[in-house]
Amino acid sequence: MKFTYNWLKEFVNIKISAQELADKLTMAGLEVVGLDQAGEDFVFEVEITSNRPDWLSVVGIAREVAAVTGGKLKLGARLPAGQAGRSVIGAGENRKPKTDNRIMTIKIEDKKDCPLYTARIIRDVQVGPSAGWLKHCLESIGCRSINNVVDIINYIMFTWGQPLHAFDLDKLNSDTIVVRRASSGEKLTLIDGAEKLLDKDILVIATPDKPVAVAGVMGGKDTEVGLGTRSLLLEAAVFNPAVVRASRRKLAIGSDSSYRFERGVDLGEVEHAASQSAKLITELAKGKLVLSKSSPVSKVKVKSVTLEGACVEKILGIDKIPAEKIKKILSSLGFTAKMQAKNKFKVTIPSYRPDVNQKEDLIEELARIFGYENIPNTLPAVIPQTNPVSPRDLVCRVKDMLVGLGLNEVITHSLISRDGLSAQILRQGEPIEVLNPLSKEQEILRPGLALSLLKCVAHNLNQRQNHISIFEIAKGFCSVSGQFKEELRLGICLCGTKPHFFPQGLVKDELGFLHLKGILEAIFQCLGIKEYNFRAKGVGQIEVLVKKEQAGIMVSPSAELLDGLDIKNRNVVVAEILLERIFAFADLTKKFNPLPQYPGISRDISVVLKEEISSEEVLRYIKEKAAGLLRQVGIADYYKGRQIPPGFKGLTISCFYRAQERTLTEAEINPLHARIAGILQEKFGAQVR
Amino acid sequence: MPDINIETIKAALGVDIQKAGSLEELEELRIKYLGRKGLLAQLTSSIPALPPQQRPGFGQAANALKNKINSLLEEKSKSLASVKGEVVFASTVDIGLPGIAQDLGRLHPITQVVDEICAVFTNMGFSIVEGPEIETEHNNFTGLNIPLEHPSRDAFDTFYLKSTKTSGERLLLRSHTSPVQVRVMKARKPPLAVVVPGRVYRPDATDAAHSFMFHQVEGLVVDKNIRFSDLKGALEFFAKSVFGQDIKMRFRPHFFPFTEPSVEVDISCIICKGKGCSVCGRKGWLEVLGAGMVHPNVFKNVGYDTKKYTGFAFGMGVERIAMLKYGIDDIRLFFENDLRFLNQF
Repeated sequence: MKFTYNWLKEFVNIKISAQELADKLTMAGLEVVGLDQAGEDFVFEVEITSNRPDWLSVVGIAREVAAVTGGKLKLGARLPAGQAGRSVIGAGENRKPKTDNRIMTIKIEDKKDCPLYTARIIRDVQVGPSAGWLKHCLESIGCRSINNVVDIINYIMFTWGQPLHAFDLDKLNSDTIVVRRASSGEKLTLIDGAEKLLDKDILVIATPDKPVAVAGVMGGKDTEVGLGTRSLLLEAAVFNPAVVRASRRKLAIGSDSSYRFERGVDLGEVEHAASQSAKLITELAKGKLVLSKSSPVSKVKVKSVTLEGACVEKILGIDKIPAEKIKKILSSLGFTAKMQAKNKFKVTIPSYRPDVNQKEDLIEELARIFGYENIPNTLPAVIPQTNPVSPRDLVCRVKDMLVGLGLNEVITHSLISRDGLSAQILRQGEPIEVLNPLSKEQEILRPGLALSLLKCVAHNLNQRQNHISIFEIAKGFCSVSGQFKEELRLGICLCGTKPHFFPQGLVKDELGFLHLKGILEAIFQCLGIKEYNFRAKGVGQIEVLVKKEQAGIMVSPSAELLDGLDIKNRNVVVAEILLERIFAFADLTKKFNPLPQYPGISRDISVVLKEEISSEEVLRYIKEKAAGLLRQVGIADYYKGRQIPPGFKGLTISCFYRAQERTLTEAEINPLHARIAGILQEKFGAQVR
Repeated sequence: MPDINIETIKAALGVDIQKAGSLEELEELRIKYLGRKGLLAQLTSSIPALPPQQRPGFGQAANALKNKINSLLEEKSKSLASVKGEVVFASTVDIGLPGIAQDLGRLHPITQVVDEICAVFTNMGFSIVEGPEIETEHNNFTGLNIPLEHPSRDAFDTFYLKSTKTSGERLLLRSHTSPVQVRVMKARKPPLAVVVPGRVYRPDATDAAHSFMFHQVEGLVVDKNIRFSDLKGALEFFAKSVFGQDIKMRFRPHFFPFTEPSVEVDISCIICKGKGCSVCGRKGWLEVLGAGMVHPNVFKNVGYDTKKYTGFAFGMGVERIAMLKYGIDDIRLFFENDLRFLNQF
């Protein structure tokens, strides 16, 4: 909201500069986000929090200024309550001024929607340009001057916070005003020219025939005040904030008026604002007030809150705040604090403070004016908790390890397009859709991470990166028989050729499945997961199993998919792991095994095998058959090429033998080792080299 | 016969070694005596010219001389090195060649900042907890004293999810990490001190300052004697830990539906040191977090006794803090994951 220094000064004495005032208001919670000099004046722009509707007016800000500066309020100074009267007339009672035989009836369908409706009839107005001061006043805060009547209404709204509306009474052509919900199918063309379709969520002002305005939001075009207007119906009312909000949202239009109604208009100020504006209209547009009419007002209960000084001290953490100080601050803000017992007050809340309902609200008021900066800084006495290992701890472990292995962490959006669903791997359940996406790119809550990672790869290939190793740990989302599920996933994507400079020269390392496998094995190791394996599952897919259960998948995406992402002539591999599933098997307990007392003997065996025989199977078979002294089996070398016939591969298997209680001799090992060669020949048709 | 012989070399060597005052000079001597065209090479090159019966003897003598030169050089180099306190290495390498790459990946800058923020609070004794990204309307709004049809909700525009079920509460993508407060308080009794990092979602059109997905860190402390002064002290400790001892802070009253009193915390601009620049909008201050004393209605909603307990809560946007800390001017960079960006952190 904007206001000017001089406008404000009409309602409160200010002895400090505009800049000093801006700083003080900001530190009291009324944040000044802009301060510009405009000739002799200064224009303030303030950000108003949604709990303070009273600050949506110059008068409301003047009250705050009075509280923070100690300046004197002069609310009666320029616009004393008009003689036009605060006449509140009950239903059925009509005051008929002698000059007019018109009878006005106000019908309110539901008092909850409209707690108060007042109407004033002003005749013989001369609609024309505004007086210079009024025009200047409005233009200084960026409000376009329209004509004297509309300008007065806006001026009163900005000054007192009460939105008003003026109908052209002749165009209205009715002596009955109805405040009701619209029926569905009704239409209304608004002042801005847009025709709106109405329904029962929208509150309207209507004649018995048709709606003429959307209550609290905007008036209708047909009854708009213009240069030819002679008679006015001036509306000042209070509408239910939630209803105005619903109308505004439904119609997708907002106004200064709806903004104020949504936040809450002070019932206690309606009559005053209305009479002020009627007075100004009679002065500046030469009209005559001929009728004032109001719906009956239910008695408003005056709110009060009990406040104890000790409680203020306890919650704020201040040593001692004198009772007089509490009283002084509260009364400067318009509250009345009556001492009930020692340092205990009954505080009466003015009607313009709907936000104050309990002692905490008053404590904030005290703290604001006392100054947050005057409250000491202490440290909370936190009692630390012992926590079991959480998934987050494991995630941190995995992340740190992946980074150590040279991968970069990425963070990608969780929302994807519907098209992206076809590129998901390790799918579970049904996708979850967003009801109100901003664009087609954000329609679906992604089931997995693979596509997002591939997109990162594509982006980086475009930036001429040769080798990309990235990972992300984030949620995958799906719906399983109507139940929404979110589960942590790990995605890894490798692409390109990694150069290694060795003293012998450059070695190019094309990233592929074995790199992925190595990375996953490192993860299993760091989580203490021992029982896992990798199983080919169709072309370009390898299943990752932990304790024989599927825990993830490694995929080499199809050329078609890569093409669609503009990844050309590149080998890409992706792994996606259900982290929570493998975390279930994580075992971080460590137990020391005594180091062996006696040395072991390492022996290699080189064989030529048919290409399709899996090395893993060979190792597993050896382990099975040669338990006992054989402690470790591993692949020492793997080769294809000149010395190996096509369709075969060369494998060097290293075997490590050790006995627990003695040093092994060659003589003991030789037959054992020979037996392994025999097993390999028998089982796999291996040729020992 | 050449005019150099074993004896003259020996004599010259003694003098030269004596004179050598640095490792560089010693290296020159090594080349002079043992180099490819050095004195010893010249000496041995004369061997073929000798009568066959003299050759073995001369050869042995030359070899002995070579060993002597080596040992003298080594001895001298050790003594020189010990004077300078350097270790002597056997061979040299062309250090201009690329190092043998030891790959180092990097955590995403957001992860690094989240970890740094969380570490400040875990050092104070807080525990880290997390919550789901799909939330109920209750946890995201009503439980936090944000009524459904209220202007305070305007700050929390939200992505709703299409439900296949007809009954039950509407589900949404959490628009802040605060619903985890509700979850933690429902699950545990005070005393509580937790920090909650996580992803949040708001339907904001993407630009340099907005992203429909971003990260927050939330904090909550509840106990019998938690005061507003504790909030100020804890957040001062946080801001100084993350932004440096020298920053100034200010606590401005503000409004959040779930706290009362509420506060917004500014730090002096870390770019211009409070003088006013484009980053701080010439104000000299940067808003870094929102906080406040937990609203009694929030306690009532989770069944905490408002007479017995008080607490404070705070929340901050991780991207904003990372952008300020590293001088990043476009939030989209975080989610583009350009390696040239990621490798800077």
